[in-house]
Amino acid sequence: MTGLALRSLRHRPAAATATFVAVLLGTALIGTFATFVESALHLHGEDRTSLIVMGAVVGGWGALIVLYSVASTAGITATQRTAETSLLRVVGATPRQVRRLIGREVLVVSLLAAAGGSAVAAVAGRVLFGALRDGGMVSDGARFGGGPASVAAAAGLVVLTSCLAAWIAGLRATRPSAVAALRAAEIEPRGMHWWRAVVGGLLIAYGVGAAVVTLTVTRHSADPYDAMSTCGAASIYAGVGMAVLAPWLLRRFSAPVAALVGRTASGHLAAHNAARRSHLLAGVLAPVIVLTSGAIGTLMLVGIDNRTMHDPAQRADGRLINMLNYVVTGMISLFAAIVVVNAFAAVVAHRRTELRRLRLVGATRAQVRSSVVAEAGIVAAVGIVLGTLGSLTTVVPFAVVRHEGLVPDGQLWLPPAVAAAVVLLTLVSARASVQRATRELAG
Amino acid sequence: MTTPALEVRGLTRTYGDGATAVTALHGLDLGFAAGTFTAVMGPSGSGKTTFLTCAGALEAPTHGRVVIDGDDITDLDETRRTRVRRERIGFVFQSFHLMPYLTARQNVALPLRLAGRRADRRRVDELLARVGLADRADHLPGELSGGQQQRVAIARALVTDPAVILADEPTGALDSRTATSVLALLRTTVQELGATVVMVTHDPVAASFADAVVFLVDGRAAGRMEHPSTEAVAGQMAHLDDLVAAS
Repeated sequence: MTGLALRSLRHRPAAATATFVAVLLGTALIGTFATFVESALHLHGEDRTSLIVMGAVVGGWGALIVLYSVASTAGITATQRTAETSLLRVVGATPRQVRRLIGREVLVVSLLAAAGGSAVAAVAGRVLFGALRDGGMVSDGARFGGGPASVAAAAGLVVLTSCLAAWIAGLRATRPSAVAALRAAEIEPRGMHWWRAVVGGLLIAYGVGAAVVTLTVTRHSADPYDAMSTCGAASIYAGVGMAVLAPWLLRRFSAPVAALVGRTASGHLAAHNAARRSHLLAGVLAPVIVLTSGAIGTLMLVGIDNRTMHDPAQRADGRLINMLNYVVTGMISLFAAIVVVNAFAAVVAHRRTELRRLRLVGATRAQVRSSVVAEAGIVAAVGIVLGTLGSLTTVVPFAVVRHEGLVPDGQLWLPPAVAAAVVLLTLVSARASVQRATRELAG
Repeated sequence: MTTPALEVRGLTRTYGDGATAVTALHGLDLGFAAGTFTAVMGPSGSGKTTFLTCAGALEAPTHGRVVIDGDDITDLDETRRTRVRRERIGFVFQSFHLMPYLTARQNVALPLRLAGRRADRRRVDELLARVGLADRADHLPGELSGGQQQRVAIARALVTDPAVILADEPTGALDSRTATSVLALLRTTVQELGATVVMVTHDPVAASFADAVVFLVDGRAAGRMEHPSTEAVAGQMAHLDDLVAAS
């Protein structure tokens, strides 16, 4: 099985690259902040608290985000091979062997990537610590104490997650009988698991609930940052909740958007593909929603705070909090972008034979390309609308609490700017993937 | 004499160059009259598939001409070739090649849509009824049997009223009973709609549904048989296999 796994990896370096990049960046990020926590263990007083808060907040959020992106990437990579794994089973591989094949592939790639990421983290941790000292966020006497232990723990966590994701994907790929799996490779799985609806619903409810608590309870609190702590992450929870429901949301909302795409052949194909096979494009929609919701929500939150906080003593507290906000937003955006690019590459690779089929039936190369780009447009439009709605759970309560009213006083250029970036990201990654796929479809 | 629906003259196709070059077709001359059903047969490596891809404007030949209904399409660029393919040629493939996210009706209308024409609902439904799937129009391919999927593909091939329908082993993925009904359907489209069908196959039973069989060996025409029977075709194929083995 290991031999087969290695050969299969050499056969598809592109699919492995996605997992590799996600694990590498993930280990680098979590590892860097893990070294802060390890350093904190050798320090005392305020330095210790600052570093632990930083490590815990960024590390915690980072772990969640990285784990999500690693899991989705490893999952996508495994799932898009359902047809191939069913074929293996038809010729006599047991479900266990197939799971082991998928697992070992991911293990090999993750170990290599985690090793690279650890090296980056060891260096980046030291450099960033220096920057914190120069910036006065820790005292001049504080010494960097990050070592192999923290970096290795971070690497282990990331590798473990990607293997877990691959194992789950393997279970899913091998659950139906071999022939059923082979047929199902073409068919849309109808509906979502009930637990998925519950989890998504709860997350959205939590985000909305946090907004309500901010408006009713923490706005009267003595510490002005209490309100931020209740509504700061609301947009991210709401966004993640909608991301969990992405297949269902895409089916619901693609029709009105598709009407806008026009009545061209490409638009027609894109609309039906988005609606009937929402499970494929949902992998792209999910990160688009989280990215939009998180970026607009958090950046406007920081903007409102900067405009309304005038007390110098509390501004000092605010500096650390807002730096953390920026770092978290940056991480979310970076990883969401990676997932969008990966997911598109995976979706298009998965549909290669089908796009070729379109060419055989008489679509020009331009029509095939524009139908995939139109799908990206539908996903971007749905994602931006939902993501912006999600961001309101942070922006509206915080603006009200800080006396700016329902609409914040500044930064209104931000949502359109984020939307433009998201459109660019989705269209460009769709265009790039389909370009690669259609180049070899000449003829 | 009337213009043939499809004609190839001196068709030559070479893959690779230099010492490793392989010539799949050696100056093949064939004509297919409108309203006929012809099977193209030959041993493995005889050039059947290459003939189909060149005649179907899926790739350009190295030398020679491809003429569809009097129009020479050999020197067209990729976009024009695509246009010819979807308006003048209908394809039926071994693995159906339906779009999985479109219903039967939408699949049949697809070539019209791609050509930027209005999909005439009545014509599409008429074709679906003709292939016996009037009650399956709103089903997705995944909900249809293999035989039903191939019927949808045949309706799709007919929708643009093409000069010629090229079928590549259309029954290769079907059991023998379903295969027979699909072949009978192809036969009917020729008799009742006046379609022209050129079918590449290696199955003597499939070939026996055609008006005539053209044999290929080593990229050259190797005889023609009118009103083929399964036994006669099987005998001729065995003979050609021996010839190839001896050479």
